[in-house]
Parts: sequence; structure tokens; C-alpha cells
Amino acid sequence: MPPDHNLADYVDAPTAHRHGGPLRVGLGGPVGSGKTALAAALCRTLGAEYDLAVVTNDIYTTEDADFLRRNAVLPDDRIEAVQTGCCPHTAIRDDITANLDAVELLEARHPGLELVFVESGGDNLTASFSYGLVDVQVFVVDVAGGDKVPRKGGPGVTASDLLVVNKTDLAPLVGADLDVMRRDSATVRGDRPTLLISLREDPAATEVAAWVREQVRVRRLQQG
Amino acid sequence: MTAALLTLADSRLPAGGHTHSGGVEQAIAAGHVHDPASLAAFLLRRLTTAGAVTAGLAAAATTRSSSGRHRGHVPSPGARSPAGSSSGEPPAPASSELVAALRHLDGEADARTPSPALRAASRQQGRGLVRVGRRAWPSPVWDALPAAPHHPVALGVAAAAGGLTPRDAAAAAAYLSVSGPATAAQRLLALDPLTVAAVTARLAPAIDAVADDALRDGLPADTDPLLDLLAEVHATRGDRFFAS
Amino acid sequence: MGARAGARPPAAAGLITRVEVVARRGPGGRTVLPVVRGSGQLAVRRTGPASVHLVATAFGPLGGDDAEVRLVVEEGATLAVRTVAAAVALPDRAGDRPSAQRVVAEVAGTLDLRPEPTVVAARASHRAELVATLAPGAVLTATEQVLLGRTGEEPGRWTGTTRVVVGGRPLLHTTVGLGPGAPAWLPPVAPRAYASTVHVGQAAGVLTADDAVRLPLENGWVATAWGAELHRVVRAVEAVA
Repeated sequence: MPPDHNLADYVDAPTAHRHGGPLRVGLGGPVGSGKTALAAALCRTLGAEYDLAVVTNDIYTTEDADFLRRNAVLPDDRIEAVQTGCCPHTAIRDDITANLDAVELLEARHPGLELVFVESGGDNLTASFSYGLVDVQVFVVDVAGGDKVPRKGGPGVTASDLLVVNKTDLAPLVGADLDVMRRDSATVRGDRPTLLISLREDPAATEVAAWVREQVRVRRLQQG
Repeated sequence: MTAALLTLADSRLPAGGHTHSGGVEQAIAAGHVHDPASLAAFLLRRLTTAGAVTAGLAAAATTRSSSGRHRGHVPSPGARSPAGSSSGEPPAPASSELVAALRHLDGEADARTPSPALRAASRQQGRGLVRVGRRAWPSPVWDALPAAPHHPVALGVAAAAGGLTPRDAAAAAAYLSVSGPATAAQRLLALDPLTVAAVTARLAPAIDAVADDALRDGLPADTDPLLDLLAEVHATRGDRFFAS
Repeated sequence: MGARAGARPPAAAGLITRVEVVARRGPGGRTVLPVVRGSGQLAVRRTGPASVHLVATAFGPLGGDDAEVRLVVEEGATLAVRTVAAAVALPDRAGDRPSAQRVVAEVAGTLDLRPEPTVVAARASHRAELVATLAPGAVLTATEQVLLGRTGEEPGRWTGTTRVVVGGRPLLHTTVGLGPGAPAWLPPVAPRAYASTVHVGQAAGVLTADDAVRLPLENGWVATAWGAELHRVVRAVEAVA
């Protein structure tokens, strides 16, 4: 060890990797919980308000991107699909290079971009986004996965900036107790918000969209 | 060799390598790779063609980036500089000669990579390596690189910035030419990871030989038309897991 | 043109072959060939106003032989180069030296280089090299056809390097190694027959087929095919060319 070593020398400047730019929102969660449907809903609701784009990480290259295109949510040049090498959680957490490339490509193509959603490939409850890739992250679970999901925790459930419990309309059918899910979420998440929604009943994802608006506002304040 | 080489060749270095299969995904689809022995054959073909070329380019890029006043200044705590870690002489600016030398190597890489899919994969990985390399080993030599350089050229610059030798850069390039595809095959075929680790480990003498050859005069140009074909067919698929 | 048919020097020396052809734009825009010169194993015959055939005057090449064919096509001129028969590369009688043939072309006009196949006999090793330096606007078509082993024979070893430089910038530089001992010639893809065509002058995009691929170059392309039988491989490369 050099005699004059200084811990600060080991760490590069904390702002080195971000220079303004759009708010990057991660959308994660298990397979089938409704990430793509939520992304589509948010694009429909917020597309007129913000200059926005989406990066998809489906395990197969283009399926989610094709879904978004089919639903005419966004023009093609605002959707980028990345390959994750059979490892969707690696691509959003351990080696975010491919996703950064995609985000930067979208930023270069649309210089006025205000909001980018990065939708992860479906993974398990331990998957979460690196904050090197996104500014805030939403974790999407659904009631059909069982009302024990919030209690089980995992980084996505406990540490995400917003937990969304989707498909509340199915609760009576699958015997899920929404009150249990709400209470367990509050227990494991502390002050972090949880929203119980049904995209079938509210295709605009009104509450989630409101949360995203607030994040954009906060980021703008932080950036001055 | 310094420990920087271990970082540079580590598959966990977040430079985007994990999303590339080095042709293995399509080789599996075409039936060329299906078990450890056929994987070993594939890795050898790749090592002695694409691997040899990248090793030569990486070594040359390190030589250019390290020579004389172009030597990368490394203000990291690991650098044994009598002037200390952050008070050394200011880094030399990226000279126009170095810019031209690296652009020349990038052009030679293009000439050795006629497949558009492989060019794109190389440049995508080069860009990823520059992103992490600039943070890990700050140096003015990074500024001499073209935008989205070929991966071996970026690798050579990273080696220079990390205080490594051309032989180190060649070794990293040769190793990376097989380690990524080996992992990809393991994932896609659900092979025993211990078996795959053994295949990779036993390639060490061949990897060393490729790295040694990379230092000889003249850049290698070995190519495998099969890899070009696989890469182009792969690029047209909508159902692939890997970028290349 | 100094070689006598069938005459060979002592085995250890190896035969030195030198060919030079210069094509120049003459009066009225017609190509003239002011230099047509061959020595060693290859004679050069004028077979048209702007075409020559190379004629082997000895069997081989043998391991240790060295041939260099220098082609200069000046601006506004056209040159077609052919050979009259397949070349059969044979093993070194004295050791295991490869035979070598280099084509060094400087092209500002149009060069069309289409030799007959090279057959590499068992235990022989042959190195072919094409270095083409093109002026901007030059047109090049160069083909290569290789068969490892004569009928019923084990394959020989062939290494082919192609380097094309246009306007000082490298356009293509590849080395293909085929045959026993070539590091990337491994099952399940270890073909006996190989064909390749490089073209500069007209762009074409990617095209893939079974064991054949065409790749785009700036203002050109390179097509490659491989397989068990040469006639099929030649058809395959023509299909993607």
C-alpha cells in the first residue's frame, strides 16, 4: 500500500456516470405479473405529457417490444429491445452495459427525452435494478402469485421505490386477501409506498402514473 | 503482469460481455455444438481465428498507447509512482499520432471482420469496455480512441491505462475469446459448469500460444468463414437470447 | 519464360517463378499489354487483347517452390487473368516446406483474376496470397478454388491470405487455413473443398446459404463457400456471389 494512500482515490466522482438526462424508471418483477402491460399503460397515460421511451429486456429479443408496437403505444424509434444472454437479472444489476447502451441510444436519438422506462425480463423475487442503470424502480407482483408474496420479501419487494400489486380483480378468484398483502407490504417496506391496482379495471394505471409524475418532478427539482 | 490483468479478463467486469455468445448460440442451433467435446472444438476454432486476431490487435493497441509520452497515466492507488497517486505529472494529452495509430488499428480490425454482425458485436463490446475502463483506469489515452472502437483496440488501450504489457493485453483478448462463449454454451445447453470450467482451464496452453504469437511482427488475420456465416444467420433471428 | 517443360532444379533449391503483366490504356482507349513476362514454372500466353493465360511449364508446385505473379492494371485498362489447368501442389521432396504463390496486384483499372482450382495433394502444404492495392474507383474480381487431396487421397494443407487495400485503407484482410494441422480445421466442419470470390466495384449485402455466405465490403463484397466436393462448392459460391 502506498504510504500516502487516500480512500478517496479508490472511488471515482459520484456524479461521473450521470449528467442530467431523463428520469430512468426500472420496471421489474416476476414473469406474468404485468410489467409489459404496466409499461404500455404508463406510455399511454404519460406519452402526451412527457417525451418518453422504453427499453425492453424480454428473455427473447423482441417479444415485449413487439407487444408495445402492436399496441401502438409508442413509435418504433422509441422502443429498444436488448438481449440479456439468458440472464435477465444480470442485465439489470450485475452488468448493465447492454441496457446503458440502449438508454444512451434513445437519449441520442431523442435529445429532449424526459422519461425512460427500462422493463426487465421476467425473473424471480430476488431481482432488482442497479441504481447505476435507473433512478427509481417499480417492482410488480400480482395477487395470483399468492398473498404471501409481500411477506416473503426479497430485494424487489422490500427495497423497490414503489411496489405494485397487480390484478386485484383476481383476488376473490384465487383466494388472496388484499388486506394481508397491504399489511405485510407495509411491514417489510417501512415508508416505501405500495399500490394495489387492477390494470383490467383501470387501464390508465392512474395511481402509478401519478407516482411517476411525482418522481419526474422531484428529479427536476434536484437537477435545478 | 499486475493484478489489473485479472480485473480486465474477469467475466464479471461489467463491460457487456455476458450478452454475447461468440457464435455459440447459433453453433448450437446449427448442431455444431452439443456436448463438451464439440464445445472444445468450437472454442479452439474461435481461439485460433478470432481470438488470434483480437490478441494481435489488442497487443498492438497497448504498444501504441504505452510508447514514450503516450504511456497512460494511472492515478489509482495501485500505481507505484514515487509522486503518489494523485499528484503525479499531469497526463499527456492524447496526441494526434496516437489517434491516428488507433484509428489505423481500428481499420485493420474492420478489414479482418467483414461480417456486419461481428463488427457490430465487436464495436458494442468495445463501447462497453470503454465505459467501464475510463472509470476503472482514468487516462488520457482513452480520448485517443474512436467512438465505439473495436473491442480488441479498446482492450489494448485499457491494458495500457491499467499499466499492463502488450503480452497481457494479448492474453486477455485470447482468454476472452473463449471464456464468454464457454459460459454461453453452459447456459444454453445446461452443461455441468465444472465440466465447462475444465474445458476452459485445459485450453490454457493454447491460449498462451495464441498470446505469444500475437507479439510477432504483423497483425494476424486468421478467419473462420463458419463463424461469419453463423453470426449472420444469428443476427436475423428474433428468438435469440444473446446479442451475438 | 526460361523454364523448360518438366525440367526441375535439385530438390533442395525450390523453383523460383516470376510473372509480370502490365495492362495500360492504349490509343483509342483499348488496353495494351506492354509487359508480359514469365519465368520459372509459369509461362504467360496472350489470349486476347486484354487477357492472358498462365501456363504451367513444370508439374507442381512442389514444396519449397516460390512463385510471384505481379499484375499492374493502370487507369482505364482492363486485364483478365486465367490459367489453363488446375495446379496440383505436391509435397516437398526434401523436407516439409510449403509451396508458395503470391499474387501482387496494383489496380487502377479493372482486374479479373479467375484461375483454375488448386489441388493440394496429400502431405503437401501450399500457401496462397493475394495482395491487391486498389486506387479509388478500381474494379477487382478475384476467385480462389481449392480442393484438398486428389481423388481417393488424404487432404493436403492450404493457407490462403487475401489483403485488399483501397485508397490506402485496408478493405479486407483474412487468412483461411484448411487441412490437417490447420488450427481451425476441426470436425464437424473440416471441408475438403473451398471457394472464395472477392469483388470491389459494386456493392452487395449479406446473403447466407448452407455452407456459404456473402459479406458486404465498402463498394464490394466477399463470398465464401465450403463443402466436400469442389463442383458443388463452386456452384454455391456463385449462387451467393
